[in-house]
Parts: sequence; C-alpha cells; structure tokens
Amino acid sequence: MKNTDERALAFVNMFAVLGSIPRLCELDENAAALADKDISIGFSVKDGPRATLTFGGGKCTLTQGCDSPDIKIPFGSPKKFNGMVDGTVTPIPCRGFLKLGFLLKNFIKITDILEKYLRPKPADMADPEFFRKSTLLTLNVLVSAAAQLGNEDEVGRASAGYIPDGNVRIAIGSDATVWLNAKNSRLTALFSDPGDITASMTFASLELASDIFAGKANSVAAVGTGGVRIYGMIPQVDNINRIFDRVSLYLQ
Amino acid sequence: MKEVYSFTKSRELFSRAEKIIPSGIYGHQGPAEGCYIPVDAFPFYSERAQGSYFWDADGNRFIDYMCGYGPNVLGYNDPDVNAAADAQREKCDCVTIPSTVMVDFADLLVDTVACADWAFFAKNGNDVTSLAVLTARAHTHRKKIVFFKGFYHGVSPWTQKIDYPGILPEEVANNIYLPWNDFQAIEDVFRTQGDEIAAVIGQPYMHGNFFDNTLPAEGFWKHVRDLCHKHGSLLIIDDVRAGFRLDLAGSDHFYGFKADLICFCKALANGYNVSALCGGEQFKSTVSGISFTGSYWMSAVPFAAGIACIEKMKRKNLPELLRSRGELLASGLRAAAEKFGYDLRITGEPALPYFRIANDPTLALHQEWVAECVRRGVFITNHHNHFMNASLTEADIAETVEIATEAFSVIKDRHTK
Repeated sequence: MKNTDERALAFVNMFAVLGSIPRLCELDENAAALADKDISIGFSVKDGPRATLTFGGGKCTLTQGCDSPDIKIPFGSPKKFNGMVDGTVTPIPCRGFLKLGFLLKNFIKITDILEKYLRPKPADMADPEFFRKSTLLTLNVLVSAAAQLGNEDEVGRASAGYIPDGNVRIAIGSDATVWLNAKNSRLTALFSDPGDITASMTFASLELASDIFAGKANSVAAVGTGGVRIYGMIPQVDNINRIFDRVSLYLQ
Repeated sequence: MKEVYSFTKSRELFSRAEKIIPSGIYGHQGPAEGCYIPVDAFPFYSERAQGSYFWDADGNRFIDYMCGYGPNVLGYNDPDVNAAADAQREKCDCVTIPSTVMVDFADLLVDTVACADWAFFAKNGNDVTSLAVLTARAHTHRKKIVFFKGFYHGVSPWTQKIDYPGILPEEVANNIYLPWNDFQAIEDVFRTQGDEIAAVIGQPYMHGNFFDNTLPAEGFWKHVRDLCHKHGSLLIIDDVRAGFRLDLAGSDHFYGFKADLICFCKALANGYNVSALCGGEQFKSTVSGISFTGSYWMSAVPFAAGIACIEKMKRKNLPELLRSRGELLASGLRAAAEKFGYDLRITGEPALPYFRIANDPTLALHQEWVAECVRRGVFITNHHNHFMNASLTEADIAETVEIATEAFSVIKDRHTK
C-alpha cells in the first residue's frame, strides 16, 4: 500500500537527507565544529544517485556527481545505499583509506546530530532553540525531498506533471524561506531567492509548520484558519502539497 | 464607496467547526478547495437566501454568482418550485415504495432531453457519472475510459488522479487522459486501443478550473461521436454543471450531436436534491441489470420540485434568458476593467462565465480583485466558472459592475503606490 520504490528513496536520502548536512552545519555549532577538516566524501549508487559532500572550515557543500572525492563509497544498488542511511548496511569505501578517520568519527557524529534533529525526541523539542532548528532543517529536507520525488517517483512525477512552470515560495513566517522551481515538469529545490515567484505558501508559525510536517495538522485545514496562506498559481501549491504527502511516506 | 464587509460571526462559527468537522468546511465550498484568497476576504456561512442573493452569518448581503455551485437556476426560494415541493411533502417523501411522481418526472425528462429514452434518478452528479461509467463497462465488457484533461466528473476513485490521497494506482489504471479539442490525439487512441475503450466521458465544453474555459472546436464532437460509433464505445456527456443552462434538451443537443448517456444534477430541481442519468433505449437493459441504489434516491419531494423547475425553465426560455444576462454582465465587467487598464478575459458560455485578469500570469492580481469584489458584496470565486440564474435582474448586474469597478480601482491604487 505504501507504493514507494528504493530508487526514488535513494534520491531522497542522497539529496534531501544527506543533502541537509550543509544546512545542519549552518544551524548547529557542534556539526560545524566537526566539519573543520578539508575532505570530501563521494557516494556512488549503481542505477541511482551520485553526489559528493565537501567539508572544510566548519561548512559543507553538496554537489552532484562523484568524480574525484577524497573518500569514495560505492553502492551496488539503491537498496544498499538506503541501508547505509537507515543504519542497516555498513559502508565500505573503495578509495581514501588513509582518511577513514573522518568518515568513522566526524561524519558519523554529524549524521547522529542530523538524526537528532530530523527524528526529534519530545523532550528535545521542548527546548525552543532545538525546536526552531529542527523545524527549519525539516523544511529543507521536505523541499529537497519533494523535488526528488517530483522527478524520480512515479506518483510524484504525475503530480509534477500538473505543476505549471515557475518559482513557488514556501516560507515559515519570517523565520525561513525556500523555493521550488518547476520547469517542464522537473522540480528543483532552491535555497536562495530566485526573484520572481508565481505562487506562495506561508506557514504562520514554526509550531504550525512543525505540526504539518509531522502529520499532526493538515495544510488544507490550516488554509481555513489562515494558518497557511496561499496565493498565486494555485495548481503549483496544490500539486506540491500532493508531493509533500508522498515525502512523508518515504521518510516515515 | 461600498461598505467593506467583516465576517466576525463566520470566523466564530469556523472556530467551532474546525474542532468537530474535518477542515471546518470540506470540499469545494470550503476555503481551501474554494480558493478563498486571502481567506479573510470571504464569508464562510450563510444565514438565508432569496432570488439572486444570500446573506451570510454576519448579515452581509451578496449578489451570488456561484448559485450554490449551480443548483440555484431560477432563484433561491423560487415560489413555484417550493410550492410543488411543499405540496408533495404534505403527501409523502421518503417512503418504502416510490411515489407516483417519480414516473411523472421520468416522463418529463424523456420528453425534454433530446437523447433520453429513459431516466434513472440518484442524488449527486457523482452518482450518475459513476453509473454512466458502470453502464459503459457493463455494456461493452471493456475497461478503459477516455477523459479530457481539465475534467471534473465527481469524487469517486475512478474520477480522481493517482496522486490523490487514498487512491490506488489500480483504480485509475484504465483511465486515458487526452488534451481537449485534440482531434489527432483521440483518433490515435482509438486507432491503438479502440477495442479496449468502453467510453469517452466529457463535459460539453472545457469548463475546468484555473484556466480559460474553451468551447468545442468546430467538428470536434462530431469527430468523437463518429469514433465512438465506429469502435463500439459509448459517448457519455457529463452535463452536471452546464445542463439546462445552455439547452433544455441537453448540452449535446446544443452543440449538435447526440450523447449515448447524459448526466444531470445541479439545475435539475433548483436546489432540491436529485440527479439523473438519461440515455438511449439500447442501454436501458444494461442499466436495469446494474446494482446501484441509495437510501434517499427515490424521495418524492425533489421529483416534484424537478418537475416544477423544468416546467418553469421552459416557460421562461431559460437558456436564452441566461445567455442574455451573461452577455450583459460580461460587457459591463470588461468595460469596467478596461477603464483601469486591465484585460479581463471572460470565457466559456455566457450562462457560465469564467473570469481571469490576464495582466498577471501568476493569477495573484486576479485573486486581489476577486477578494475586493467579495468584500463589497459580489460573491465570485477565483478559479471556477460562475453561474447565471433566472432571478438576476439588470439592476443586480448594474450593481455588480459598480462594485467590480470599485474593486478594480482599489487594486489599481494598491499597485501604483
């Protein structure tokens, strides 16, 4: 009934979950401290995504492709890559053995911090600052995952096929703004202002956004209360919300 | 300057409702699907209605161009329809066996609708579009149904899309989606899959949401009709939305072709709850064998109301009346828009006009204008066609144009500051 597939999940794990490490390093000083060493880790998934995380100076960037990283980790299938992300498969690098210390120590610790924010414990969420960071990071994951599912998931592609071209702004009050670009039914997550927008969806507060992301509240209901405000090209917002529903299936 | 309405009581009611009703108001009459943008410009609940007006919970009066999304075709509380319904209610309504009035209503529909040799009654448009598809599949022993993109045929799983919540891929696996007015696309699909196609289902013209409405291209329906004949597929016309407003004999008749099955609901009984599937004699036996019924489908009061409604629509020559009223409204609104440099596109048939300010492709400017109209007492919606009704007067239209002009002025000022 879930109707999900491993390859699409691999794209979500690569570009939305691991892809949120750069934002994590901006939000969390402990993660930033672990990203101090100049080193790159490439993930190459057979019949799936390829990308490289580059660390240094307390920052991290994600780039598509896996051409010449310091540490290269190949995966024989999307399922094995997904296993690494959920902790059931141990990654085995094929290059960069002398730099494994970073992979085994710093990188693991960074992913532990990431998991703490993306699968938060109720007690942690009681801390307003933790709550803020967790919600902002979740927004990044949600939008990135939506872009991946709009491109790689069969049902997500159906939704993306109904999205007219343009930039949709997705904001949480004045706390955070991200964008999704649609062009020829392909979606791209954007984290800097693209200029013109064609539609907008704004969550009134971090609390409401958090509840909607966690499935405790529904965005359709929130439109009525004014908790979610929409305008512009509504078919864009409508179909992006359908993809957001798919994201929750993949990231349960 | 018109008074700008406030909606305090609507909001208080909604606060109660959202705790006990999913999304407060679900479906197309709710703020999300109804595209209430911004949400605070719209009333949520009605208190009463008469003729072309409704009054909301705060006592604000609106000239209503949605007409309950179609059912209000003669005017709210039409005295003749109400009298017929009241008289029937005195006799019987929901009884163990159907009232005699059911046969009278079927007789009247068969006499009125060009393609009808029989009538089957239910409650909502979705009931009869679903029966039409069941009939096509039962009659042809085929699976596939051809739709035109931009369609709306109800809410049953077969009408929804693969990405809608709760829909299984299997439920829409036999749906084929084609562009509207595309002669080649439908010819191609019949050439490659003709022996698998149970039916083509379409609205008489493309009156979907979010885009300019499009009339059938010259010869398009004849082309579809011929292909269906050639391949043994049924042609289903979903006339739920446009039915009777274009032609009392059915919208297929209006556009010069004959449907195999035709679905009616909204304008059938001026707000009394009944829908009907009508069709050709050759399909009556198939429908007879389908298990399809409901607790209230043979209630007598809506049948009596339907008879009174159809008879009054005939007396008033309703399609011509609505066309002329729609044309008057369109010319007034276009002229008002032009005064402020706005290009207001009004598409579809005049009895069901669709509005869009074309100056802003994002539709945000259009949404601002609609909001300012609603705040001043003209109830229109952002991205759905509108409905004319017989009680709408020239004075109502003049007042509408006056309010629309003020709304254009407000948005012009906002964007020139």
